[in-house]
Amino acid sequence: MRHPKDISRRQFLTRAGGAAIAMPSLAAILAACSKPGTTSSGAAGDPLENIQIATLDAPVTLPLTQDPIAADTPIESGPLVLYNWADYIYKPIVANFEDKFGVDVQISTYNNLEEGIQKVVNGQISPDVFVPTPGYLRRLVAKDLLQPLNHDLIPNMSNVWPSYSNPGPYYDLNWHYSVPYTIYTWGVAYRRDRVDDAIAAQQGWEALWNPDYAGKISLYDSYGDTIAITILRNGSLDVNSQDPQVIEAAKEAILQTINDNDARLTINGVYAKLPAGDYTVAEAWSGDIVGAQWYLPKGVGTDVLGYWKPEDGKTMIGNDLLVIPKASQNPRLAHEFINFMLDEKQGTENFTQWNGYQPPFTSIQPESLVKDGIVPETLTSAVVTEDMFKKDLTPYELPAEADQIWLQAWTEIKAGA
Amino acid sequence: MPEISTDTTTPVERQEADEPRRRRRRRRDGPRTSDERSGVWYPRWYWPSFIAPGTIALIFLFVLPFYVVFSVAFGTVDFNNFGTAVPYYAPWWWSLHTFNTTLQQFYVGSHIYQAPLIRTFEYVIAASIICLVLGYAVAYYTARFATKYKGLILILLVSPFWISYLMRIYAWQGLLDTDGPINKVLTPFGFGHTNFLEGKPITIILGLVYGYIPFMILPIYASLDRIQESLLEAGRDLGGSGGQTFWRVTLPLSRPAILAGIVIVSLPMFGDYYTNDLLGSTKTAMFGNLISQQTEATAGSTRAASLVLILSVIVLIPMMYYLRETKRQMEQA
Repeated sequence: MRHPKDISRRQFLTRAGGAAIAMPSLAAILAACSKPGTTSSGAAGDPLENIQIATLDAPVTLPLTQDPIAADTPIESGPLVLYNWADYIYKPIVANFEDKFGVDVQISTYNNLEEGIQKVVNGQISPDVFVPTPGYLRRLVAKDLLQPLNHDLIPNMSNVWPSYSNPGPYYDLNWHYSVPYTIYTWGVAYRRDRVDDAIAAQQGWEALWNPDYAGKISLYDSYGDTIAITILRNGSLDVNSQDPQVIEAAKEAILQTINDNDARLTINGVYAKLPAGDYTVAEAWSGDIVGAQWYLPKGVGTDVLGYWKPEDGKTMIGNDLLVIPKASQNPRLAHEFINFMLDEKQGTENFTQWNGYQPPFTSIQPESLVKDGIVPETLTSAVVTEDMFKKDLTPYELPAEADQIWLQAWTEIKAGA
Repeated sequence: MPEISTDTTTPVERQEADEPRRRRRRRRDGPRTSDERSGVWYPRWYWPSFIAPGTIALIFLFVLPFYVVFSVAFGTVDFNNFGTAVPYYAPWWWSLHTFNTTLQQFYVGSHIYQAPLIRTFEYVIAASIICLVLGYAVAYYTARFATKYKGLILILLVSPFWISYLMRIYAWQGLLDTDGPINKVLTPFGFGHTNFLEGKPITIILGLVYGYIPFMILPIYASLDRIQESLLEAGRDLGGSGGQTFWRVTLPLSRPAILAGIVIVSLPMFGDYYTNDLLGSTKTAMFGNLISQQTEATAGSTRAASLVLILSVIVLIPMMYYLRETKRQMEQA
C-alpha cells in the first residue's frame, strides 16, 4: 500500500505546472513588494540630471535617445492619432491631409496640458502627434517618450523662421525633437464696445481686477499662465519666480478678484465666451482673441474685439510644439503630418481661416496680416514678430520644488478657500 | 484526482464528531426542504457557487482597486517622471506622509480643504431634504392616486435618462444664463440679471436635486405601492383621521424606503464633481472637485488617493447608520 503522502507522477506534473505558472506572478508580487524607486529609476545616471532646464541664457541640446526613422520608411496606413488642445486645429486642413494620404486622422483633445501630459506618460493614450509646450520637452525626452525627427522628411521647415532650425530654439538646439506649431503672447482681451482702448491700455493687467467688470472677468484655468500674469500684474518681471512670497502674493491677488469680482476660471473664455458677450475682459493668449472673430454672433463686427499686451520687454511670449511620441504606430505618417502643417498654404490657412494662432512662417508679414484683413485692425497688437522672442519674457520649466509651490497655491484657489 | 487527506482521525471518529452537529441542524431547519423530499442531491459547492460571480466581481472591481487606492495614497510620486504615482503595494513600505499632510489641510494652517468640506455637507444635506420632500409627494401621488396613469408617470420619471446628463446640464446652463429664460421670467419680480452660474450655492443644490431625485422617488414609490389598502382602512376604522393614518401607518411603513432613498442619493452626491464643474465655480467647489483637481495636477495622485480615503470614511458614517437601522427594523419585523 502506498503511503498517503506519496505523490503520483501525474500529481507531481500538475503541481509542477502550477508552480511554473505561479512563479512569474510571484516574482511580480515580490517586485511590487520591494520599495519602488530604490531599485529602478532614481539611480545614478538619471537622464534628467544630465539635461539642464533650458533657458535663453543656457540653451540645451537634447540627447538623441535613438536614431530617427529612416527616410525610406514606407508611409503607414494610419489612422493617425493627433492629441491636441480642444479647438486648436482647423478641421478642413485635417481633411486635406486625409485626402492627400488616404488615411483617417483621429483627434483627441485635452482641456489643459497637465491632463494631456499625464495621459501620454501613463500610456492612457498613445498619439502619433502631440502638442506640448517647451517646458515639458526636457522631461519627455529624458523619460524616453519622444522620437527624434528625421529632418529629411520635414523639408517644409524651410518655411519657418530660420532661428527655429539654425541654431534651433533654446529648448531644443538643432530641433532634434520638435517643430514650432504656433506662437503667441499673453495679454488682456476686452470688448471694445464696453471698454475704451485708451482705458484698457491705461489699466493693463489691472482690468482683470477692476470691480467695474465684476461678473464679466475671465482668467485661464491653467495654473502656469494665470499665476505668471498675476506676478506681472503685481509688478515683478520674474514670471519663473521660485520665491514663495511672490507666489503667495499672486495667489492672494487671484483669490481676491475671484471673491470680490466674480472672476471665473475658464478655458474657452476668450475665444468663445468673450465674443458671445459673456465676458468683458479676459486673460488671453493672442491666438485666442484672433480666433474669437469666428465665434462672433451674426451681425456683430470684429471691431468689438480688442487686445492689450504690455510694452516691449514686459510681454510674455511662447510657442507650442509638434512632437512625435516614441510609441507612435505611424511615425512616417506623423512626419508627413508635421511637414503638412508647416506647408505654407496649409499652415497659413489653419491660422487665417479659423484657429487664430500664428505659425512662425517667414512668408507671413506682420504688416500685411492687418492690411489683408486677416487680423482685424483692432487686434494689431496680437500679431507676433520674430524679434519679440529676443527681448520679451519667456516662461520656462520650473524645478520640481518650485512647481509644487505654484501647484499648492493653485490648489488653494481651486478649493475656493 | 484522489484527494489527499492529512486528517489522522479514523472515519468512525469523524462520523461521531459530526453527529451532534447534524442532528442540531435537522432540528433547527424544521420541515425538510423540497430538495430532501424529492431526493435530489446537490454537491456541497452547488449553492455557494451561485454567489461566485458576485464575489469575483467584488474582488476585482472593488477590493483590488481599493487596495490600489491605499497603495497610491500611502506611496509617493516620481518628480523625475512628471509626478506620476509610485504606489507602494507592500503594506510595510506604506508611508503616511502625504495622507497626513492632506488630512491636516482640513484643520491646520490655512486649512484650505475645510471650506469645501463644510460646503459639501451643506449642499448634500439641503439637496437630500429637497429630494425627500419633493420625491415623497410625487411617489405618494403616483402610488395612491395616479390609477391608470401610473405607468405613464413612471415612464416620464425615467425618461430624462434617455438624454445624457451632460446634455441636460448644458440645457440648464442656457436656462440659467444671465440673459436666459429664467432671468427673463424673474425680471418683473426685480430679480433680473441674476448670475446663477457665478458660483451660487442655490444653483448647485438645484443641479444636485435635478440629477438625483429619480433615485429618491423610485424606492419610495415601490414601498408605498406595496402598502396594503387594508392597513390604511384599519387605521381609519380605528378612528384615525386621514392625517393620523398617514403619520401612524403610511409614514412608518415607508421609513425603510426613505432611509434607502436618502442613502442612494446622498452617497453619490458626496463625491459629485461634475455638477459644480458645469454649473458652479471655485466658490462652490465640493469635495469631489478637490479630488478631480488633484488627479489632473502634476504630482497630485497621492493627494487625490488620500482624499478618496478620507471621503470613504465620511460616507461610511451615514452608511453604518443605514445598516444599523435596517438591521433593527428586520429584528422588529
